[in-house]
Amino acid sequence: MAATGDEAAAMESISKAPVPPTDLTLTLTAEPEHKTDATENQKAKRPSNNNDGGVETAEEATEPAEPDINALCRDMFDKMSVFLQGELTATCEDYKLLENMNKLTSLKYMEMKDISINISRNLQDLNQKYASLQPYLDQINQIEEQVTALEQAAYKLDTYSKKLEPCLPCLEERIMMQHN
Amino acid sequence: MASSETQPRFGQSVKSLLSDKVTSCSGDVIALTRQVLKGSRSQELLSQAARNMVIQEDAILHSEDSLRKMSIITTHLQYHVEHSKNLQDQLKHLMK
Repeated sequence: MAATGDEAAAMESISKAPVPPTDLTLTLTAEPEHKTDATENQKAKRPSNNNDGGVETAEEATEPAEPDINALCRDMFDKMSVFLQGELTATCEDYKLLENMNKLTSLKYMEMKDISINISRNLQDLNQKYASLQPYLDQINQIEEQVTALEQAAYKLDTYSKKLEPCLPCLEERIMMQHN
Repeated sequence: MASSETQPRFGQSVKSLLSDKVTSCSGDVIALTRQVLKGSRSQELLSQAARNMVIQEDAILHSEDSLRKMSIITTHLQYHVEHSKNLQDQLKHLMK
C-alpha cells in the first residue's frame, strides 16, 4: 500500500536526474546509508500493520542491500570507462598512423629537397663553366666552317686541274714551235 | 531517455528501479559515444586519407629515384666540363 517516509524519499531520489559521478568514481553519502540502514532495520522487521488513527499501513518487504554495493558500482564505472576508452582508442590509433605516415613523408621530401638543392647548385656551376667555355666553342665552330670551305675549294681546284690536264700536251707543242 | 518510467509502479521495488535506471543511463552513454564517433565521420575520413597516402607513396619513390639519377647525370656532366677545361689549357699551351 502506501510507502513509508524513508522509502518515499528513496523513490524521489531515483526519480530525480542522477548527478554524473566525477572521474567515474562513486561516493555514497552517509545519509542514504543511514536511510538504507534505517530501512534495513525496518526491513529486518517483519512487515507489520500499524493502526494509527484507524488507517492501516504496511511496510514493503524488500531484499536487504548488498554490503559491497560500493565495490560493485566502482567496478561498473571502471569497466564502463575501459569500454569508452576502447571506443575512442580506435580513432586515436588512426590519427597516430596518419601522423607517422606524414612524418615519414616529410622526411622523404626533406631528402628530396636536399638532393634538389645540390642539383641546382651543380647546374649553376655547370652553366657558369659552359659560359666561360662558350668563346672557345664558337672558335671551334668557326674553324670547322672554314675547314669545310677549304675542303670545298680544294675539290674544285682538283676538278679544274683534271680538266686542264688534256690541254697540257697542246700547250707544250705550241711553246716548242714558238721557240723553234 | 524516458524518465517517466522511474515513477514507482505496483510490484516494482526500489532496487529494480535503481538497476533499471543505471542500465538505461549506461546504455545512453554508450549510444551517445557511438553516435558522436559516427557523426564525426572520423573513421571514414582517416581511412580515406591513409588510402590516398598509400597511393601517393609510389609516386614519391619514383620522384626520389629520378632526382638521384639527375644528380648522378649532373656529376658526370661536371666531369666532362672539367675534362674540356683541361683540354683548353693544353690548347693554350700548344698555341703559344
